[in-house]
Amino acid sequence: MEQFEQLLTCAICLDRYRNPKLLPCQHSFCMEPCLEGLVDYVRRQVKCPECRAEHRIPYNGVQGFPTNVTLQRFLELHIEITGELPDPTSGQIMERCNVCSEKAYCSFCSHCDKKICEECKGAHMEILRREISRINNQIRRGIHRLQDTLSLVEKNTQNIQTNCSSVGEEVEEIYRRLNKALKDRTEYLRGELDKYLSTELRSLTNLKENLEQEISNILSNCDLADKHMNENVDIWDDCELMDAKEIFLKTVEFIRNFEYENSDYSRKVRLVLGHDPNQLVLHVAGFGDLNITNANSVFGQSSSLLQPPVPGLMRSKSDHRLASQFRQQEERGYGERGYGDEDQVLSGRKFGERPKSTGESRYGRGGDYGDDYDHDSRPTRSKYSSRFRRHPTTENDSDSEQTPRVRFNEHKERERTLDTEDVAKGPLSGITRLADSPRVMKKMQECESGKTKKKEDPPKPPEPKVVPKRPPPPAVRQVSEEDEISRIKKQNKGATTSTETTAEMRPAAEDRQRKTPVPEAVSSAEESEESTTVQQRKTPTKTAAATRRPSDATHKKSPRSASSDSSSTESSTSSNPIRTTGAPFTTEEVKKKILSKVEPTPPVRKAPSPVQNKPFQSRFLQNKTSTAAPQEDDEVETSSEEETETEEESDEETEKTDTKEIAKSDIGALLARSANARDNSVENIRRRSRDDTDSPSRTRYTSSREREKEEPPKYTRTRNTTVTEEEPPKYGYTSRFLNKSKSSAAIPPEEEDHSSRYSSAADDDSKYPTSRSRYMAMKERRQRLARSRSSQQFGDEDESEEAISPTSSNPSAYLASRGYGSSSSAHDLARSRSSHALKSRDNSPDRSASSATEKDGAALSSWARYLKSKYGNRSGTKDKDVTSSVSTPSASSSGAARRLSLGLPLRSSTELASSDDDSKNMQGSPTTPTAAMAVAGIAQAVAGTTPRGQYLQKCEQLFQIGSRGSEAGCFTWPRGVAVGPDNTIVVADSSNHRVQVFDANGRFLKEFGQYGNKEGEFDCLAGVAVNRIGQYIIADRYNHRIQVFDPSGRFLRAFGSQGTADGRFNYPWGITTDALGFIYVCDKENHRVQVFQSDGTFVGKFGSMGNKEGQLEHPHYIAVSSTNRVVVSDSNNHRIQIFDVNGKVLTSFGSEGSEEGQFKFPRGVAVDDQGYICVADSGNNRIQIFSPDGTFLRAFGCWGIGKGEFKGLEGVAMTSNGHILVCDRENHRIQVF
Amino acid sequence: MAALPRRIIKETQRLMQEPVPGISAVPDDSNARYFHVIVTGPEDSPFEGGLFKLELFLPEDYPMSAPKVRFITKIYHPNIDRLGRICLDILKDKWSPALQIRTVLLSIQALLSAPNPDDPLANDVAELWKVNESEAIRNAKEWTRRYAMDN
Repeated sequence: MEQFEQLLTCAICLDRYRNPKLLPCQHSFCMEPCLEGLVDYVRRQVKCPECRAEHRIPYNGVQGFPTNVTLQRFLELHIEITGELPDPTSGQIMERCNVCSEKAYCSFCSHCDKKICEECKGAHMEILRREISRINNQIRRGIHRLQDTLSLVEKNTQNIQTNCSSVGEEVEEIYRRLNKALKDRTEYLRGELDKYLSTELRSLTNLKENLEQEISNILSNCDLADKHMNENVDIWDDCELMDAKEIFLKTVEFIRNFEYENSDYSRKVRLVLGHDPNQLVLHVAGFGDLNITNANSVFGQSSSLLQPPVPGLMRSKSDHRLASQFRQQEERGYGERGYGDEDQVLSGRKFGERPKSTGESRYGRGGDYGDDYDHDSRPTRSKYSSRFRRHPTTENDSDSEQTPRVRFNEHKERERTLDTEDVAKGPLSGITRLADSPRVMKKMQECESGKTKKKEDPPKPPEPKVVPKRPPPPAVRQVSEEDEISRIKKQNKGATTSTETTAEMRPAAEDRQRKTPVPEAVSSAEESEESTTVQQRKTPTKTAAATRRPSDATHKKSPRSASSDSSSTESSTSSNPIRTTGAPFTTEEVKKKILSKVEPTPPVRKAPSPVQNKPFQSRFLQNKTSTAAPQEDDEVETSSEEETETEEESDEETEKTDTKEIAKSDIGALLARSANARDNSVENIRRRSRDDTDSPSRTRYTSSREREKEEPPKYTRTRNTTVTEEEPPKYGYTSRFLNKSKSSAAIPPEEEDHSSRYSSAADDDSKYPTSRSRYMAMKERRQRLARSRSSQQFGDEDESEEAISPTSSNPSAYLASRGYGSSSSAHDLARSRSSHALKSRDNSPDRSASSATEKDGAALSSWARYLKSKYGNRSGTKDKDVTSSVSTPSASSSGAARRLSLGLPLRSSTELASSDDDSKNMQGSPTTPTAAMAVAGIAQAVAGTTPRGQYLQKCEQLFQIGSRGSEAGCFTWPRGVAVGPDNTIVVADSSNHRVQVFDANGRFLKEFGQYGNKEGEFDCLAGVAVNRIGQYIIADRYNHRIQVFDPSGRFLRAFGSQGTADGRFNYPWGITTDALGFIYVCDKENHRVQVFQSDGTFVGKFGSMGNKEGQLEHPHYIAVSSTNRVVVSDSNNHRIQIFDVNGKVLTSFGSEGSEEGQFKFPRGVAVDDQGYICVADSGNNRIQIFSPDGTFLRAFGCWGIGKGEFKGLEGVAMTSNGHILVCDRENHRIQVF
Repeated sequence: MAALPRRIIKETQRLMQEPVPGISAVPDDSNARYFHVIVTGPEDSPFEGGLFKLELFLPEDYPMSAPKVRFITKIYHPNIDRLGRICLDILKDKWSPALQIRTVLLSIQALLSAPNPDDPLANDVAELWKVNESEAIRNAKEWTRRYAMDN
């Protein structure tokens, strides 16, 4: 069999014969490319590789040689026997690949629209796959936005429910009250009426009775008189007659006088209404309205339910744009041309051409639909339409008059096909659910049966099986397939099935419309017409489709109908949360962090909010009402205006603050600090230069400084540094905190803190006679600091800081409590904070007058002049300020702060200028170490553990972060690691092209960055560093640049590009920053270290390729100690070199090997505040710790995947609490020791 | 760089799977067209017992043109010069695409067994070989011991 095989193998390509040609010498070779390659074109002959016989080439080239038919038969026989797959390329002709222009069997590539060879195609598919996975990562990372939205929507649902029920209760309550009031009043009125009636009736009957009696009496009297009085009967005596007469007279009188007061009783009772009854009825009838806008303001921010408006429009919009971009990419990524086409189709692209060709090439190589269906992973319009095209008569014969139109409609049909395809679609985005696509399902099935890989694989080119020609099958097969689909879908969704054709056609049409960005292009008439045709065409197709589609329809319909009434509200709610949650950094956050002004914020936030514009929403709106669209536009405009306004506002604020020298922004704070630090060093220089002529008129402060100078034993120096430096971190924090809660008044105290600090130093020092050791003073101070435990020392104790911070409580009281009250600055503190900055600045000259000597002024002013001449574009007053600043620390610091706030360098003159004095000073300067480290130093000292001991004990892993992956908290080849403020852990997740931030306990906090070369994007970033103000500085390795991000992860700036010139990079790797914000970059392939200012201005460089002292070969990582020793891992020289800031080698240690103190390709380096050096000895897979002088202290770790074992070490970092962070690259994790 | 032709892949695979006795050819990690070759000196030749390092490079148009082969180990041979270049017809004009790496290396091994002083590359060696073959063979043995055995 083997020999048989060998006989079927071409001697040239060592492959099975393809189109074997028989040479006259009876040797056979493949025609292409083997025999072709043998042709000697000059002599037009070919030399047989086997027997070296030379043959003339026939007139029509090598194909003119006879085909070895026998061999071909054997080949076929062999195929039959072994059952192996036939050569896919048999019968094909080689073409030049349009990409690599090699001759090969080409096929059409959907990625580049060209006919290319398999290799290139494979590469393209790989690209697509990678793109998809990348986008998928982005989606995964972004999906939480939708989830947040979902939760918000849920919350909102709840809110609206509670709202409605509460309003309902309210209505009920009102109803009850009104009812009761009405009833009560009615009853009361009735009662009154009754009472009135009864009394009146009683009096009337009374009167009536009396009257009747009177009448009868009088009548009887009259009768009596008539009868008896007139007769002369003497029965009556005179007396009696007199009486009778009197009675009768009285009666007459009574009758005459009696008057019935008719009016009394003719009074009518009338119901007098307080209000017009009609009005009243109206009032009651409309006793309340459900005012939605009112509800908004009630619900407002919390729920933002009924409130489309949300702040930060710009960003949200951009997010959306981003999102939609992703979507498009995704769509494109699937090679789903049809999907992307719909715009093009709408924009009038001729239908027949490209889609058709692509359709054919993609699905149609075999040419028949059934084949497509088998191979392609996704259903597409072209496919669908082709289905119709191919079988119009069979499926449409019932209404054959439709057929002429079919072709025209095809184009509409196309768009629809996707929609109506049995694919669950996102009702908002129109993104199909891949798992529901029959093709994908099919693929998945294949996958499960052990064939292929992942779900979201791009449409693979139809595997060129030579399928034993199945007749174009559709109807039967489709039914079965779709039956299955619908079954699965039913299982998936429990969707209801109904055969309503209207339901079917409506969403279809709507969907199409929804998907079209320009709906007006489609007239309603067209729509209806089309939908009918659609329906007509649909219905006859098959029942399976019918049962399936409605489920789809209902699925799509529900969200739509929900949105139809309150489309704006609903969609806006959905959009709204997206913005708030979606944006990695909302305006609020940013504002909180960077700006102050919380009070103005709410209105600002509210104002732009109504304006929310989302692609989704607008699409909805446009569908619903044509008027909605322009409105939307207007809103957008206003919103953007407002947004810009707010941004301007913020800008203004920062500007203001800058000019006010209030280091308000973080940068300002740092700069102020650094300026301050620098100043101190300058001060020191001056001192030194002037030591001999010590002036007696110095203030306590200066004298203390003097003493500091005079006794600089090492320990003292470090303590010294802690003292001078203890403030800065606090500034960083306080300013940030203050910015959260305070307006511009927040920062000024900083100024006086400087002074207070100095005064405190002065106090302390003055307490101790000069003879006494400075150490004592320091110790005492430290104790006090420990006692008070104020946040000033421990910058990471946020809460206490907020509580005690001099800026948040009464500053003077605070200072007084700390024993600083005696200093003159306390007066200032007592004053209003807002004016304070000015005050202290005013003060400073006074102090300077007392504290500084003329010489200082002279010495420094030259320096100031230098600065000015170099960078100065300031006004005269500021000039003055600058010069005055020279003489006094606080003033100069403020001046420097101002200068530095513009990104001007200060250190360049002191540190990098050539003066030896300067550099020495810098080394010994107490002002340069990083604050965080200093703080840590204190903390440690207080805790009583020496770092040495601590390191000697190191070996146990405390915890670890991450595993391989691209989700949050996972890594793919992490490289750099750094410690940020609060001991946050910052990791350069290199092959995920992002930065991840964890808290000190390893909990994921945030991430930023993605693949790319635009702003804020990375390509395999390597080093990370965090400067004192929390900005992230990233070595964007394959983009050959450095990027800087603000503490919230927003892009600030980038600098550098590929090259060897100054400021250019070749694979920048490790990066670090020092106390003054200078950026040190290991420019790996240029074998050098470059130094930049924080704004990216090139400052200097050192190192060149080589292994001599001061030379570097592939320096990987870098660290700067508190004493300005620049530690570089000189990887390929297997050593650590330590430079001073000028690039002069101070020392180096290590050699190749695996003994203690030896290295194999050391990579990560870190330095703690005490100068202890930690080295990631990557070749030996261990961590080594060295004392500051380079003597070996401890090593731990070995190769492996367990705890405390490493595979490929990268960056290391040391936290202020003595933990060591190790980036264990091949294990895709960070280990903490 | 264009992908590796199937033929090279196949040859490499076969070299790994069915190594030729006395010959080892391993592609370089970074360049699959570059092979590190070790050929043992054939028995009954002055080179017996030696391990000769060669380098073999497959040019871009391989197999239409011959591979480039060179001795790295110093060898005393009339057809191999001081630089290790080999005078072998199949590496020059007699190259045929039907030949493979293994056949080339076998040919080289054969060349060690049968020096051809009539078609010399190293003239002095060839001269001695023709004039005083025993001394030449002694030299060859000496060189083999010195250069091809200590590792």
